Amino acid sequence: MITLQLLINGVALGAAYALVALGFVLVLNATSAVNFAQGDLVMAGGLLAVALAPHIPLPGIALLPLTILLMAALGLILALAAYLPLRNRPPVGVFISTIATGIILQNGATILFGPEPRAAPPLFSGGTVSVGGLTVAEQSLAIIAVAAILIAAQQWVFARTQLGRRLRATAQDPEMARACGVPVTAMILVTFALGTAYAGAAGLLLANRYFVTPTAGGDLILKAYIAVTIGGWGSVPGAVVGALLIALFEVGVSSVLSYPVALGALYATLLVILVARPQGLFGEAARRRA
Amino acid sequence: MRRLLPVLLGLAIAAAGPARAESLSFPVLVPLTGFLSLEGTSQRNGAVLALKDAPASVTISSDVIDTGTSPEAAVTALERAAGRNVAAVAASMLGTQMLAMLPLAAEYKIPLVTVSGTASITEQGNPWVFRFFPGDAVTKEAHARYVVEELGKKRPALIYQTTAYGQSGKAHLTEAFKSLGADLVFEEGVDPAAKDLLPVLTKALAAKPDVLVLHLHSGPTALFIRQAAANGVEVPIVAGSAMHQPSTAALLEPAELKGVCAETAASPISGGSPEVEDFTAAYRSAFNTEPDAFALGQYDGMRMVLEAVKAGARTPDDIRKALSTGTHRGLAMTYRSDGKGNMAHSAVIVCYDGTSRVPKIAKRYDNVTGVVK
Amino acid sequence: MRETVSKRAPTLNLPHIAAGEGIVAVVVVALVAYAALYASPYGLRVLTVAGVYALATIGFQIVFGLGGALSLAQGAFFGLGAYATGILGSQWGWTFAATFPVSLLVPLAVALLVGLPVLRLESHYFALATLGIAQVVHLLAVNSPGLTGGANGLPGVPGIVLFGWAVPRGLPLAAIVWSFVAIGGLIAWTLARGRWGRALTLVRDDPLAAGTLGLDVGRLRLTAFALSAVYGGAAGALAVHTQRVVSPEVLEFPVMVSILTIAVVGGRGRVAGAILGAVLLIHLPEWFRFLERSYLLVYGVALLAAIVLAPHGLTGLIDRLFPPRPKPLPIPVAPPVPQPATGPVLQIADLGKSFGGVRAVDGVSLVLDAGSITGLIGPNGSGKTTVINLVSGLERPDQGRILLSGQDITGSDISGWRPDRIARAGIARTFQAVSLPPGATVLDAVAAARLDRDRSIVEAEAHALHILGRLNAADLAPRPCADLPAALRRRVELARALARQPSVLLLDEPAAGLTDAEKADLATHLRAIAATGTALLVVEHDMGFLLPLAGHVLCLDQGRILYDGPPEGVRSDPTVVAAYLGEGAA
Repeated sequence: MITLQLLINGVALGAAYALVALGFVLVLNATSAVNFAQGDLVMAGGLLAVALAPHIPLPGIALLPLTILLMAALGLILALAAYLPLRNRPPVGVFISTIATGIILQNGATILFGPEPRAAPPLFSGGTVSVGGLTVAEQSLAIIAVAAILIAAQQWVFARTQLGRRLRATAQDPEMARACGVPVTAMILVTFALGTAYAGAAGLLLANRYFVTPTAGGDLILKAYIAVTIGGWGSVPGAVVGALLIALFEVGVSSVLSYPVALGALYATLLVILVARPQGLFGEAARRRA
Repeated sequence: MRRLLPVLLGLAIAAAGPARAESLSFPVLVPLTGFLSLEGTSQRNGAVLALKDAPASVTISSDVIDTGTSPEAAVTALERAAGRNVAAVAASMLGTQMLAMLPLAAEYKIPLVTVSGTASITEQGNPWVFRFFPGDAVTKEAHARYVVEELGKKRPALIYQTTAYGQSGKAHLTEAFKSLGADLVFEEGVDPAAKDLLPVLTKALAAKPDVLVLHLHSGPTALFIRQAAANGVEVPIVAGSAMHQPSTAALLEPAELKGVCAETAASPISGGSPEVEDFTAAYRSAFNTEPDAFALGQYDGMRMVLEAVKAGARTPDDIRKALSTGTHRGLAMTYRSDGKGNMAHSAVIVCYDGTSRVPKIAKRYDNVTGVVK
Repeated sequence: MRETVSKRAPTLNLPHIAAGEGIVAVVVVALVAYAALYASPYGLRVLTVAGVYALATIGFQIVFGLGGALSLAQGAFFGLGAYATGILGSQWGWTFAATFPVSLLVPLAVALLVGLPVLRLESHYFALATLGIAQVVHLLAVNSPGLTGGANGLPGVPGIVLFGWAVPRGLPLAAIVWSFVAIGGLIAWTLARGRWGRALTLVRDDPLAAGTLGLDVGRLRLTAFALSAVYGGAAGALAVHTQRVVSPEVLEFPVMVSILTIAVVGGRGRVAGAILGAVLLIHLPEWFRFLERSYLLVYGVALLAAIVLAPHGLTGLIDRLFPPRPKPLPIPVAPPVPQPATGPVLQIADLGKSFGGVRAVDGVSLVLDAGSITGLIGPNGSGKTTVINLVSGLERPDQGRILLSGQDITGSDISGWRPDRIARAGIARTFQAVSLPPGATVLDAVAAARLDRDRSIVEAEAHALHILGRLNAADLAPRPCADLPAALRRRVELARALARQPSVLLLDEPAAGLTDAEKADLATHLRAIAATGTALLVVEHDMGFLLPLAGHVLCLDQGRILYDGPPEGVRSDPTVVAAYLGEGAA
């Protein structure tokens, strides 16, 4: 019984991580740039939801569209300030510019919100649900459902729509896409907006159960990085599965052994995977630019 | 690089700036960024509030410098502050940073006034450190005594953070429970980045404890209490000082807090005397936030320093002498050095009744000497 | 990130006396004057910390800037050095003379231990693996209170004692730390300018080509990684002597981020960049301290502005403002000619290779005689390039043997015949898709082929210029490879292979994209090369070019040899015609 409860918690955590990793990998594929501010964008999304909550006294699910929209706008700003000026420069430059963005977000948040941990409103009531003697936090189930819908929406847009085809073309080969008349720069901006919106959604989902502080992003970027790597650099489904695996590993090992051991074991397992299977668990999808 | 030089030179000139007579400086060197920024901000606010009301005989200046979380930044901040008519420093509550600043403070002969709970800072034989907060030896003895003597529990389970705060508290709690004849049935460290605390809660309950003793930071404390409440855990919870911070309680519904107790040096929002209520009101209006024990401790410390100035102390050494020999009736308690710079020897246990986020003082422990180490 | 980063790197990292170095000298003099005359104890402390980070970053420049490997373990090496000094100094009472060497050796040992498995990884996987190592070290430090003091760390680390003199803080400590920076910087600068640094740069830009030019890629990377660890350890030790406390903060990710940021903002791969970056970025937040809580916000904005305005770092900016004078060309010198081989040089017997069930090469046997030109033809996907890859060691054969002058050089894990060793034995090759390091000049690129045998860069360049002259391409020498048209890039790559003075030269479509006049010119050069005793294997589609040139032709189809005989017989061979035109046409 308790195992099932832990499993649900692990999947809920993994679902939120998956949104973070998804946003990370979309930007990575479109620009081959590592967005190191992704974790801080999650934090920003969480605090944005905290800030919106007193003005809109509705459950979190009603705040979600607004949070996503505002975060998408932030994503555009990020792309304009930290990516576009450096797009034809060594990619490590974007690494540094997104680190700088992270510093700005983190300290801006401290100035605006103070250092206290905050809680965003729950998606629905925030209570617990009893199913056959099993007590499950409603929020956990809601996180899983919302994350699943958002991930499915991304898959649908990319697979079925004209916009999605253009986004995929940009990610596969920007020169070719440009030759075919795809507005590549606009597509990159859309990708940044999308990736940031997913970070914001993850922030809202995480900030109720696990609270949010201005320094919360550092841990999340590491998790996203690991998820994307074990899932196969550049693979979208791989990133989602990788995120779920990390969360289940975290919850699973720490319920048998302890948190420090779980963390140590996570990195040790990661090293073993890397050495034994250097292309990630599911193979590498990112194109290599010649 | 050419632009760099004038700035460098300007910096040098500023650092060597002219000194004014009868003006004293009380720099505030506390963590305003990083994982201790919440507590550091309380320290800053407490110190700033105390310094607002200075004796008329001197001009007071006070720079606030962020020390971040690294010892390196703390030492750099102290070096920056030193040599500018510094009378005393309100210094970081991060134990590692204190340990790094202590040798330098001794060289510069500057008293450090802190609320750090880390035991070892007053065990370095350094006469320049003054701790206006009960050390772990005091608070953890009160913590354990309340659990064993007042609640009558014999099977405590301890969950602590793998940080300096958690590891130091854990060491003292283990000793205290042992000497009280209630050995821990379970103990585990939790990384501050851990998200889900249900695993550790489950394991702790499997050891059949009769009380859950926490020594976690603010966020994790709230997370743990919420998960315990959601799962209908009946075992009482006695938390560490992070629970008493108003921002921790703000994360929880009052109902979730029912029956939860916490150890702390003081709980200014709980009132107790007109002076404390005045302090709380002034703090709220100045900073638009709720004060905690760290703010009050730092406030009391800086007040004692200013009392010494009022009584004629003008040099850091005068202040050191006044602090190490005098007695100060502060708002939280009466402070007096034990010869090592430990000024605070009282702790309180506060409990939440389930209707409000403001705890009530359940038990006061004065003149606690602390168990060994 | 290794490939993607490097491919676009412009003319950085060329070892030349740049105006940048002159400006650095001015800055150094200004800093010394500032330190000695004006600086307060606070200013000196910030300067000391900047020195510590400069030293750590100089090491990082070796593995990341020159070697192109995004190691995220530099912070861990820094921390290991810090803890070695911290524990031995505060707990065991050891002095600087004993703790400092240990602080160099501990990171070195860890780097050698973890480097072997981890350095095989490519780009991001390597970055993440090194990050994982750093996280494990941090967890160990926090959770072993008995040894490390746990999260609190250990106080009471002694200061530096040199020959009985306890170095006081302030100017003397700053001077000592910066002396280490000067020594470390000089060593790194010398290495970067020398053959080793040049080889490492090639490994970064094109590890495959580096292997076929006789450079031991694995060993170069491991050495760079280990050397960076030593620098990290030294910096960590000095950091602990400066702050007198060791705690897990030295192992936390922000230290690594600082080092990476300093390297990129200063100028990637340059010692001067590490020093300029450290001085700037360590001082930057201090200038905004008066803003109390907003200072890091302003720091973030300044950092963003710095990387946007100077994407190639401060040294890159200086190079743009004050372009370095082009280096004068050396006087060409003919390299010593090896004893020409005779008779059969390369013998291949029953060579086979499958990729996922597809037989790419299936029982191929051939013999190359000294001084002969053999053509290898066949439709696309018939296994021609795979044969070249198998002989040069980039792929491992499933079956068969390859003998070079009677010696078995078949590539395998057990025999140890890796590409670099095969190259040193006398086999050189070119690639179908020409790969030249984009940041290098033509002379640099060709000289790279001589790094494993010539005694100095000067000698390698003199020899390289001679080889370029033999191919009538000496005038290309100062031009950047990135600017060359395709035909000239092929010429340069041929010169690079020729500079190996190989006994066997494998050419993969050398005439592709060339005009008729250029093809004729190429044919003349290839005949001249063969005339010196080198055996040539030429993969080509262009029959008009190949058939008059080759003395012997093999045709491959689906990995098997269809035809093996004189060039005159190819066009009339029915199986060859069928293979080219499809089954139905036969």
